[in-house]
Amino acid sequence: MAYHSFLLEPISCHAWNKDRTQIALCPNNHEVHIYRKDGAKWNKIHELKEHNGQVTGIDWAPESNRLVTCGTDRNAYVWTLKGNVWKPTLVILRINRAARCVRWSPRENKFAVGSGSRLISICYFEQENDWWVCKHIKKPIRSTVLSLDWHPNNVLLAAGSCDFKCRIFSAYIKEVEERPSPTPWGSKMPFGELMFESSSSCGWVHSICFSASGSRVAWVSHDSTLCLADAGKKMAVASLCTETLPLLAVTFITENSLVAAGHDCCPMLFTYEESQGTLTFGGKLDVPKQSSQRGLTARERFQNLDKKASSDTANASLDTLHKNSISQISVLTGGKDKCSQFCTTGMDGGMSIWDVKVSNPCPSLRLG
Amino acid sequence: TRRRTGEALRAFHTAIRSSPGSARNPAMKEQAQGTMLKVLTSFKSSEIEQAVNSLDRNGVDLLMKYIYKGFEKPTENSSAILLQWHEKALAVGGLGSIVRVLTARKTV
Repeated sequence: MAYHSFLLEPISCHAWNKDRTQIALCPNNHEVHIYRKDGAKWNKIHELKEHNGQVTGIDWAPESNRLVTCGTDRNAYVWTLKGNVWKPTLVILRINRAARCVRWSPRENKFAVGSGSRLISICYFEQENDWWVCKHIKKPIRSTVLSLDWHPNNVLLAAGSCDFKCRIFSAYIKEVEERPSPTPWGSKMPFGELMFESSSSCGWVHSICFSASGSRVAWVSHDSTLCLADAGKKMAVASLCTETLPLLAVTFITENSLVAAGHDCCPMLFTYEESQGTLTFGGKLDVPKQSSQRGLTARERFQNLDKKASSDTANASLDTLHKNSISQISVLTGGKDKCSQFCTTGMDGGMSIWDVKVSNPCPSLRLG
Repeated sequence: TRRRTGEALRAFHTAIRSSPGSARNPAMKEQAQGTMLKVLTSFKSSEIEQAVNSLDRNGVDLLMKYIYKGFEKPTENSSAILLQWHEKALAVGGLGSIVRVLTARKTV
């Protein structure tokens, strides 16, 4: 079954291990639960209890198999598996507001935490002191950082914020890596350098994503828009005003296609046409089955007209798989350039896995 | 007096095109609101759908902003015709167009 109901409450955040046999999620409280897939069933195998506030972000490093979590308690923990127990190491983020999102860098030698302190903490391990330290990126962020995504070069970091902007910063840490070579976003990348900043949309930026090559970045905002900046076109921004409720999560599935989902409770496909610099809506994945429509009595029609100012006979219950907003999307197989499977979790406590059929000219989606 | 459909449509497009946009002058905005309301209320119900379909995405968003502005300051009978405009604009712009009315930083 491609949809699994884990909880009756929202899944705050989730992360998969490398071979996709285990999922770590926060069940809307201060804990992280790890489930393992055994055949068709999901069994809870670990409960990670260390945070004193809701866990707002989880990321699972595929190669080093370490977890990093962050929460409203203003802390982050790096978890290492010792035998059969996950051991936490506290990381001092030096923030005075809730942490909101966390991401391992591609080489897993750093991680970034976005917070309500209007800054990003870039954390790396200092060998001499056996201790995680962090540096802050502050300017010119004016509000909570809601989402982060790393460029494949392990240095550039995209951040979406409640100040309505998407930005790309350099998070170069000379202690752990060599100088990065030039990218389409720029050549000089000292720590904290602002490489790109979008002009203001009118909504909080909920989710942000680099394409697999890193030359494109896409984001979704609370004003029901989807935007894409293309470094290959001098950072030109294409934007689409959608007809849907605001989207909360977005990911690339090929270099030209995106899947996004949000308060309409179903994933949707979008395609980027590079030559025209346009984004177009490619359809909702979750096409509800047409439920049989019985005729309405005259009385019911009049009541509909009175209550809803329309005699539309569509029923009010949700026909989508997820029964509440989808808050996170993760790529399962194929990477962001040839994604063949992705996963959604939402406020209905459910997790769903979707298959993608990648075909030219643009992918179509099928429920897995 | 009754307007012919063509005149109403032309007045409509002119009002949409000459919307003050980022002008902060409140007097200008009020005047634009008044003009738009007059144009919208001068339409017959049967003409509304055609007018909405003649707009592009930005035009539909702008129309939706004016519809809600019209709701804010109702005159006698204005809400009834505005509700009809709302139904047609919603069919084209979707809930997203209403979301953008709520999130807009520059109001009409």
